[in-house]
Amino acid sequence: MSHQELIGTVALAAALAVALADAQAFDESKYPDWSGAWRRIPVPGVTGQPGYDQTKRLGPPQQAPLTPEARAIMEASMAEQAKGGQGNYPTYVCLSPGMPRIMTPYGMMEIVITPETTHILLEHVHDSRRIYTDGRDWPKTITPTLQGYSIGKWVDTDGDGRYDTLEVETRGFRGPRAFDATGMPLHSDNQTIVNERISLDRSNPNVMLNEITTVDSSLTRPWTVTKRYGRDPNEKPVWEEENCAEGNGHVEIRGQGYFLSAEGHLMPTRRDQPPPDLRHFNQPPE
Amino acid sequence: MHCRSSIHALAQAVALLTTIGCAQAFDDTTYPNLKGQWTRAPVAGATGPPSFDPGKPQGRGQQAPLTPEYHAIFEANLRELEAGVPGTWPGPSCLPPGMPATMTAYQPMEIIVLPHTTFIRIDYIRETRRRIFTDGRTWPDHVEPGFDGYSIGRWIDEDGDGKFDVLEVETRHFKGPRAFDLSGIPLHEDNQTIVKERIFLDKADKDLLHNEMTVIDHALTRPWTVKKSYRRAADAQAEWPEYLCVERTETMRIGGETYRLDKEGYLMPAKKGQKPPSLQFFSSSQN
Repeated sequence: MSHQELIGTVALAAALAVALADAQAFDESKYPDWSGAWRRIPVPGVTGQPGYDQTKRLGPPQQAPLTPEARAIMEASMAEQAKGGQGNYPTYVCLSPGMPRIMTPYGMMEIVITPETTHILLEHVHDSRRIYTDGRDWPKTITPTLQGYSIGKWVDTDGDGRYDTLEVETRGFRGPRAFDATGMPLHSDNQTIVNERISLDRSNPNVMLNEITTVDSSLTRPWTVTKRYGRDPNEKPVWEEENCAEGNGHVEIRGQGYFLSAEGHLMPTRRDQPPPDLRHFNQPPE
Repeated sequence: MHCRSSIHALAQAVALLTTIGCAQAFDDTTYPNLKGQWTRAPVAGATGPPSFDPGKPQGRGQQAPLTPEYHAIFEANLRELEAGVPGTWPGPSCLPPGMPATMTAYQPMEIIVLPHTTFIRIDYIRETRRRIFTDGRTWPDHVEPGFDGYSIGRWIDEDGDGKFDVLEVETRHFKGPRAFDLSGIPLHEDNQTIVKERIFLDKADKDLLHNEMTVIDHALTRPWTVKKSYRRAADAQAEWPEYLCVERTETMRIGGETYRLDKEGYLMPAKKGQKPPSLQFFSSSQN
């Protein structure tokens, strides 16, 4: 091939490449492979319901930097739970745990990456999220939600030309929310800010790390924990459909929690709990 | 450049492009642009809650091709609704509508197209995350039944312009209870429903999406086909509302009966003469 022909070849390739680049708007090879189903990795020796810091047991062992007021709420919640009540635990009636607790996560998680949004799809109560990566600023007004409003930024920390870390900030919350099942509270002012750094473990691409820092008025300082998720080896995972209302054995009437028996009848959750007020019925209960 | 040289140059160019092509695995321009927020398209003259067939009045006006047995169930349900009792629509119990009612889009809808899966997100009662698998898979030997079912799809380039324009979907493996819409038009309790969809953009209006749905179900005497349409929001950053059923519901199921809740949260009868719930498990019936 002559020099002139070589230039022609390169020019042709370049022209075709430009056309192709225009056509291929989403270069997914720039993003990490986070496909598949992810689950919380159990920590050996840590049993029972997962704590917010999954490396420690629930309750005081979490060593959460709570303000005295928040600590009192948690202790009252755990005391009520010890008697059979629900304490400061709104999730039992199928209210979403909200952020940051939803990232524990309790069910299967799928992460769907598009250039504009990273979707975190969670099979639990009502936990899925959108993380906007389209470069938007914080909106002037945000309708508060339990999941909050998340803006993310992809980062190539090792400079290999491929993003490896998703940095996320989440604001715009409502309540009630708790860190975990003990009812360890987030503040009722809902001014929480959650910062996340999500990446794959460099030594094992089937392990994902989520370093979560929570800034909240219930805390004396920012609280950072790292959650670890494991990838399901099945490339076609069986997605379990979770419907919280289906078979939920709890109801709440005027702020009081009750169990439902196997036949669906009301039952007390603690000794000597009074039954609900039936003032609107003109017949006596059975 | 001679002919042979030209072919050689073209081959080299293609080789270079193959390298580029490997890096760019997903040609999203091959797929229709379904990005954004979609809401149920308004139908002229339609009033009241949305029906399964948006082109017809709700309830009996739907003219659903029900078998006599399921027509009787539907009529009984309408009488209950007229008496003020929540009917067979599972929503008041915070159970999801399931397919095919999911695609009525009672709340805004997002469609995420990737080569292997098309995701449909609708936050209504259950936070629906339909997965339509387009990776060429066949039906699995065993599927755990779900309200949304298990969906396999296929992209089609109908007009041969090199770009997909129609997503054909088949959905099976359901559980219940499910109804077609809020009037309680029932699906069969055997849950052997098959739902076929053809989802495509309007040729004249790229902000209008159509879904031709055909439902095959043992509650029906023949397949029932309807056409649903969705309108794309003009705002590319439209807000996604959070729908928390437990905070909205005004009813409660206790002991197989449905009761209402008044504004202050007290239990109320849902129908005339309804007995209060049993308090047999309480040591004292005094409040």
